[in-house]
Amino acid sequence: MLVPSLMDGLLLGFVYGIAAMGLSLIWGVMDVINLAHGPIIALGMFGIYLGFTGLGLNPYLMLILVIGGGLLLGVLIYWVAVHRVINAPHLSTLLATFAVNMIIIGIATAIFTTSPRNVDFNLGGFPVGPITLPWTRILAALASVLVTALLYLFLYQTRPGKAIRAVSDNRAAAELMGIPTSWILALAFGLGTMLAAISGGLISTFFPFTILAGSSYELKSFVICVLGGLGNPLGALIGGLLLGALEGIIPAFMETSWVPVLEFVLFVLILLVRPQGLLGSKT
Amino acid sequence: MALLEVQGISSSYGEVQILWDASLELERGRLTALVGSNGAGKTTLLRTVMGLLKASQGSIRFDGRDVTHVSPHGKAAEGIVLVPEGRQLFPSMSVYENLEMGAFTKRARGNFQANLGRVYDMLPRLKERAGQRAGTLSGGEQQMLAVGRGLMAQPEILMFDELSLGLAPFLVLNLFEVLQRLKEEGLTMLLVEQNVQMALAVSEYGYVLAEGRVELEGPSRELARNEHVREAYLGI
Repeated sequence: MLVPSLMDGLLLGFVYGIAAMGLSLIWGVMDVINLAHGPIIALGMFGIYLGFTGLGLNPYLMLILVIGGGLLLGVLIYWVAVHRVINAPHLSTLLATFAVNMIIIGIATAIFTTSPRNVDFNLGGFPVGPITLPWTRILAALASVLVTALLYLFLYQTRPGKAIRAVSDNRAAAELMGIPTSWILALAFGLGTMLAAISGGLISTFFPFTILAGSSYELKSFVICVLGGLGNPLGALIGGLLLGALEGIIPAFMETSWVPVLEFVLFVLILLVRPQGLLGSKT
Repeated sequence: MALLEVQGISSSYGEVQILWDASLELERGRLTALVGSNGAGKTTLLRTVMGLLKASQGSIRFDGRDVTHVSPHGKAAEGIVLVPEGRQLFPSMSVYENLEMGAFTKRARGNFQANLGRVYDMLPRLKERAGQRAGTLSGGEQQMLAVGRGLMAQPEILMFDELSLGLAPFLVLNLFEVLQRLKEEGLTMLLVEQNVQMALAVSEYGYVLAEGRVELEGPSRELARNEHVREAYLGI
């Protein structure tokens, strides 16, 4: 009973990691907490849903479109809602992203209503000893590892990626060195949004959802950011795995409804004892 | 015609006006000094020239063109480069990556290898520390990296804000030797310093800034002999 549940949780944890990476990237680079994170995750879900039920596209093929759409949407959100308040106090950026959150939920509710949808897609299972793991979850975990590796390559090996790190370290100095920092921030926001959309897209292949479904993943992303520390993709992935493992283990001992309670107890405890994050560095 | 002409600029932090109608010119190939005591507005002037702070009045011309409203990254792309006060490195990135970021602009990118060789030659410590995170360098090494990063940008004009601040005397000498070499190569530079004696000793022309206004200007040798300068800044 415990082993399959733990395996399920761990595989899901990879996807949580991707969602948290999106939140953490934006938070770490521009000190903006993106309250539209949840609805963007849900938009990723609906992207796959529309491609699958509307056009009959394979979800993994559709994911490529979701990736492109997520990136563009993020760049757009940055220029429309975030850029003008980027140097304002935190409350302004919180309100700006919260407004985006409300707009997305409002429009999507009008179009899709809030009745649950699901992507009726099944690839069968993969037997590992006595347990069987659904392929959709295995592929989601593999895709998450791939995305993390690509994000690392981008941030550490390419010019725009390094520019994102430079802007994150010292925005004024980056500007003085000729880096167009506003565009770099827009790019970082786009990447963060893209990661959220990817995680939503992957989750849609195994759970039903509504446009409001993103909010619980948004909250999980906050917990993971605290577990893994900010601005570190690997930290987010490990944090995601920890949370996934917890979700796998807890139901073996108590009611499933205790899961969020314990998650947030953990969240508060870490903030009290180690505010830089379990895996984060002091700086 | 001077390479950079700053004409009557004023600027403020919020309601507080710091800079009042300040003008200065950087002649091509000359090392110019801008001196003044702490709080005279030297850093504000540099920030305004770069466009980090908006000029409420006046104009900035570079090579005859008006660049008053060009963004800081646009100015860097033109070759106007500032080595800011307090190093302002990218602490989580390696020394090599900091130099790479210095060469971000299109004009600098093509000459990356040649410029890197030159910087390593002038500041050999940077080569030894290439893989180390910039945040873990000593203060002197950080200042060297800030200078090296500025040179990687292939500047037409290189401006230094408080190059010597907080450094041990032998390190200051070391960096001033680098300035000397750059001067011989014909680079146009502006040295902004609290260390008035040192700045007037290495520069050819100088400006004295006091309470946000240009108080005096002239050949550095003459400024160093000026009664008022000697009394107010050199303590003689």
